[in-house]
Amino acid sequence: MNDKNLYSRKATLDLKISEFEVPPMLDLLIIGKKAPIGPEAARRMAEALSPDQFTLFRLDHPKIEGVLVRNSVLQMLDYALLMKIVLEEAEHLLLDSMVLRAELKITVSVRREVNLG
Amino acid sequence: MRVDELISGPVHTISPEKSVFRAAELMNEHGVDTLVVVDHGAVLGILTSRDVRSAHPNRIVADAMTTDPVTVSPDVFIWDALTIMDRHRIGRLLIRDGNTLAGLVTREAIRIKLSELLDPLTGLYREPYIRAIGEALLKKKQPFHLLFVDLNCFREINKRYGHPFGDDAILAFARRMARWVKETRDFLCRYGGDEFVMISLAEEETVDRFIRAISRPLSINRVAVSASIGYVNGFREPQFFALSIRDVLAKASLLSTGAKAVGEGESGGPGMFSSV
Repeated sequence: MNDKNLYSRKATLDLKISEFEVPPMLDLLIIGKKAPIGPEAARRMAEALSPDQFTLFRLDHPKIEGVLVRNSVLQMLDYALLMKIVLEEAEHLLLDSMVLRAELKITVSVRREVNLG
Repeated sequence: MRVDELISGPVHTISPEKSVFRAAELMNEHGVDTLVVVDHGAVLGILTSRDVRSAHPNRIVADAMTTDPVTVSPDVFIWDALTIMDRHRIGRLLIRDGNTLAGLVTREAIRIKLSELLDPLTGLYREPYIRAIGEALLKKKQPFHLLFVDLNCFREINKRYGHPFGDDAILAFARRMARWVKETRDFLCRYGGDEFVMISLAEEETVDRFIRAISRPLSINRVAVSASIGYVNGFREPQFFALSIRDVLAKASLLSTGAKAVGEGESGGPGMFSSV
């Protein structure tokens, strides 16, 4: 009896292709103190992929070492206010070994009254 | 006595973009526990084995190093280096000669060297300390006061009351003098058995007050113990900078002997001779 009738090896391939987002982070990167990528490495990565578009802030926080922020966000939102919100929300989710990325959408609603006279 | 005398072996460097894992490998290869982080010739920080242990191995060195390392020049005295380390709460100092990285000195190396210089009875430095300070000041043309303090009748004290009492007397005088010492202004050592030397940059009036205070007999277990003082005033001494520290010490020592001849006789009889 031929062995080939008894034994065979097959492979199934699944190929998923999607667009690589440049840069891979969104608006914010929150870097834990023991994360495998540190703030300086994240800054260098952002600088290489999107020069002059991100700013790194180092924090004195028990779990968070730094936050990388897209400059355009800072154009619209005060730094202190942004950090307050980010820290309040992120510190419950984050372990010090994690890096979180966050997307921030800011909608500005304006309502004005003008004088028609 | 300078920090460059404690440099052991070459400094090993690493660039900031290398991984912490690679840094650990380098430390093992070279058998060192510190790497200096250098980027295009500029020193950015130092990475210790402790930094390596506390950082994720995937991190880059720039994210694990201690930034802004404290540097000193090679001619800094080891005791001053220790003061700098205490002030900054660090365990290592980089030694930089101009733009060149000369080496690295650790707190442990300084402690070991200093323990060789410390007198175990009084806790004061020994003679090489004062010699190094004096040499450095003379080299800088910085005038100073040098006081040679010699306990009176110390041999008789030992014979009459025993050596432990003699030790008590030395310790009491050392403590009395140490109370006057102000950091960066006064330098005190136990020069020999019953002899102390102080170099001071203080005002003359302060030195006079010190001499008056030290000249007063000290009562130890109801025994009056006094000292004779030989005083060289470098601010007034002619041709002071033509002298070596050995000359200045010899002069002060002879002056204290002269003061003994005039003032003592009894252990409680103080004396002071000045060079000017």
